[in-house]
Amino acid sequence: MAASDVVFRVKRYRPESGGRPTFQEYTIPYRSDMVVLDGLNYIKDHIDPTLTFRWSCRMGICGSCGADVNGQPRLTCGTYVRDVHKGAVTVEPLSNFPILKDLVVDFDDFLRKLASVTPYIVRKDWGDLTKEYVQYPEDVEAYRQQSLCINCMLCYAACPVFGSSPEFVGPAASALALRYNRDTRDEGADARLARLNTRTGVWECTFVGECSVVCPKDVDPAAAIQTLKFLATMRHMRRLLMPGSSSR
Amino acid sequence: MPMTSREYAWKRRPGWWLRNRRYLMFQLREAGGVICALYGLVLLNMLVQLRAGESAYTAFLDLLRTPPVLYLNVVLFALVVWHALTWFMLIGKAQPIQFTRQPLPWKVVFGINVLLWLGVSGAVVYLIFGGI
Ligand code: SF4
Ligand code: FES
Repeated sequence: MAASDVVFRVKRYRPESGGRPTFQEYTIPYRSDMVVLDGLNYIKDHIDPTLTFRWSCRMGICGSCGADVNGQPRLTCGTYVRDVHKGAVTVEPLSNFPILKDLVVDFDDFLRKLASVTPYIVRKDWGDLTKEYVQYPEDVEAYRQQSLCINCMLCYAACPVFGSSPEFVGPAASALALRYNRDTRDEGADARLARLNTRTGVWECTFVGECSVVCPKDVDPAAAIQTLKFLATMRHMRRLLMPGSSSR
Repeated sequence: MPMTSREYAWKRRPGWWLRNRRYLMFQLREAGGVICALYGLVLLNMLVQLRAGESAYTAFLDLLRTPPVLYLNVVLFALVVWHALTWFMLIGKAQPIQFTRQPLPWKVVFGINVLLWLGVSGAVVYLIFGGI
């Protein structure tokens, strides 16, 4: 191995032949400005076209290139090899998800959870659709942080609660529920809180906080979940003490 | 979660909580909670001994004053403090009551809570040992 080389240890899983995932090592040329995704693409283009991984935008927007890099969930397009390069760069599929092939995981379950919190504006009556639903800068600011989520699922890979209780709705779905609950145009808050105030909802969270540490967009899903616990409790108490009160 | 036959089910590695400092701190907090609950049983036993009479109660207090039990108390106290601090961190993150236009940084809320906690603890210690 030349001094200007770097070793990539990549976890491989070949569904056609079954068996356990194994590591495969590739030695590739090192550049100080290369990101982990560049290394994977170099391997695919020049050494092993069978290596399978997801990516699209290469700029931290699409959320598809997540993998465990040296044991930590990261966007491979946003992780410089120089920052993680300690002898070798180990790339594994995101923890806590079933593996489809190599670095590609099955996230159907995540999409189901996301759908369960209606991550879009819900209205009882859309009324006059030619009319604007005016929002002031402070209205947008109320949900701006959670709206930055790119569904990369790094937070799920970092969450040991999701690892041991896969039915847990999880960090990103919760953060997005809060994003829409805080939107002045939305009327679906009550149903979302009812969904999250369940055994598989926000109460599963024991506040490890690692989801917020790994989140590449500073969404802070751990904070969102704690806020939702409070809002769900308030909703519960309101329904208990004032059964006829408004739902919001 | 339902899987197709060719998927490889993810398995958690033993010792996952040693993977980074934050997982370790989390496990310590959880372990601290369990140990605190068990220590509650010791305190309940104290009531049982009190009921059993003076000699039983004194013998139990003597046992509590032996060095191993004192060391154990120091460890348990550290775990209780850690357990409490992590929950104060949580209050800062959730901030259900917002007194200011912008949410306060969580460290500020955390600091205020810790100061209040120290104040109340100081008052309790004074009530117990201060001769009131
Ligand atoms: S909350 Fe952060 S880590 Fe989780 S999916 Fe959204 S952007 Fe990714
Ligand atoms: S390739 Fe789109 S986020 Fe990395």
